[in-house]
Amino acid sequence: MDLGFVKRVIFTSIGRKFVMAVTGLALGAFIIVHLGANLLLMKGEESYNGYVALLLANPLILYAELGLAAIFLLHIATAVWVRWEDWRNAPSGYEERRWQGGRTLGSATMLYTAIAILAFLVYHIVDFRFGDHSVGFYQMVTAAFRDPVFVGIYVAGSLALALHLSHGMQSSFQTLGVNHPKYTPFIKFGGLLVALSMIGFALISVYFLLELDHRKAEHHYQVAATEAR
Amino acid sequence: MSDNKFSVTVRVWRQAGPGGKGRMESYKVPDVSPDMSFLEMLDVLNEDLVRRDESPIAFDSDCREGICGCCGLVVNGDVHGPDEHSTVCQLHMRRFRDGDVITVEPWRVKSFPVLKDLVADRSSLDRIMAAGGYISVNTGAAPDANAIPVDKDDAEEAMDAAACIGCGACVAACPNGSAMLFTGAKISQLALLPQGKPEKARRALAMVEAMDAEGFGNCANEYECEAVCPKDVKVANIARMNREFLLGNFLSKR
Ligand code: SF4
Ligand code: FES
Repeated sequence: MDLGFVKRVIFTSIGRKFVMAVTGLALGAFIIVHLGANLLLMKGEESYNGYVALLLANPLILYAELGLAAIFLLHIATAVWVRWEDWRNAPSGYEERRWQGGRTLGSATMLYTAIAILAFLVYHIVDFRFGDHSVGFYQMVTAAFRDPVFVGIYVAGSLALALHLSHGMQSSFQTLGVNHPKYTPFIKFGGLLVALSMIGFALISVYFLLELDHRKAEHHYQVAATEAR
Repeated sequence: MSDNKFSVTVRVWRQAGPGGKGRMESYKVPDVSPDMSFLEMLDVLNEDLVRRDESPIAFDSDCREGICGCCGLVVNGDVHGPDEHSTVCQLHMRRFRDGDVITVEPWRVKSFPVLKDLVADRSSLDRIMAAGGYISVNTGAAPDANAIPVDKDDAEEAMDAAACIGCGACVAACPNGSAMLFTGAKISQLALLPQGKPEKARRALAMVEAMDAEGFGNCANEYECEAVCPKDVKVANIARMNREFLLGNFLSKR
């Protein structure tokens, strides 16, 4: 058994970037599904809790969770390793230095958005994953969304995510060697759309903060009442 | 012509030798003609320094027409100076005004140690080339140039990659000190052509490993390299290198 090719994945620059890109794309796919689930919050308690119940009923959910955690850890571990090497060899000591227009806000802040996302994630997991589920999932989440401090953190987290993905999505494809004059413009555009959709998380939390769900319910109630009359 | 002469002050990195400490020093250069190249201006300054019994400023140059890749300076924070996609030897003094203070620095990358003043040792790039930047052919009579058909688009792309002059500006401009644009270009120029195909997996693996061994940073797809490259080498070459490396690793027998 020759494990040279595995060693190359771990110990070469492109090997590590490959792991970072694949795990990054997997996390991107996960976050889109997550956003879909959050949208169910707006449909109401029944839809959301029904979805959560369906998820929890799956006997493989624990393995899925562990797999997701492993992907996260791999993404973080390779990123830390890559960054540490970059930091050691980054040009340093220029008296003057001007960026030439290659970098974007997203690419230049990858490290900072990564730290922000990680901090948010830890908070999020402690609060929700290991939080009090007895009141029901819908109630737990919407109660948090009515707290301005929580929503502030949540909005900041989703903006950091949007910025991170604005570079990360298209960057992953480049790292995997997918760069083609026909398709790369679509990949870049698609990556930006995914990044932009992360603002959806923020909007949903603000929706509940402003109690727009109550207003919608009131409206329904009034319409129903008028019709009954 | 003497009427449009002007004077500038250059702030230059002076370093006595390898590994030594250096510092910025200022020199006044009077009588600069707008027709001078930037390097000619440094030549004039050096003549003046020699006349005054001071040691001249060491800097690299050879062709002075943008094709050899010897020169390379950071001018006012711009890699290869303010002109886009140009080498610093192609920079002219007409880009400056009377009284300008011009900061001149060498590439400051760990894998390019400064030897003296503005001269950085870029032999790490040569070692990447030695690891696989070639094709193996039998000696003897040259084969018929047209015996192997090459797709025109591929030939052009290979030619664009082969335009890389190995100046190292991509590394100097990269926030991470990565040499992936250079290595990508050197892998691409051969991978795109039928003559390069037989050794492509071996080449990609060996050159990337040699690049890593030199301690260059990792590409984070910031694309600052593409923005400064005097030969306009495209980052699509980095993607090709990634592809060649990954396919070579997972699919070849090596
Ligand atoms: S890729 Fe461009 S910047 Fe880099 S060494 Fe070649 S010519 Fe210079
Ligand atoms: S001296 Fe040859 S490229 Fe500048």
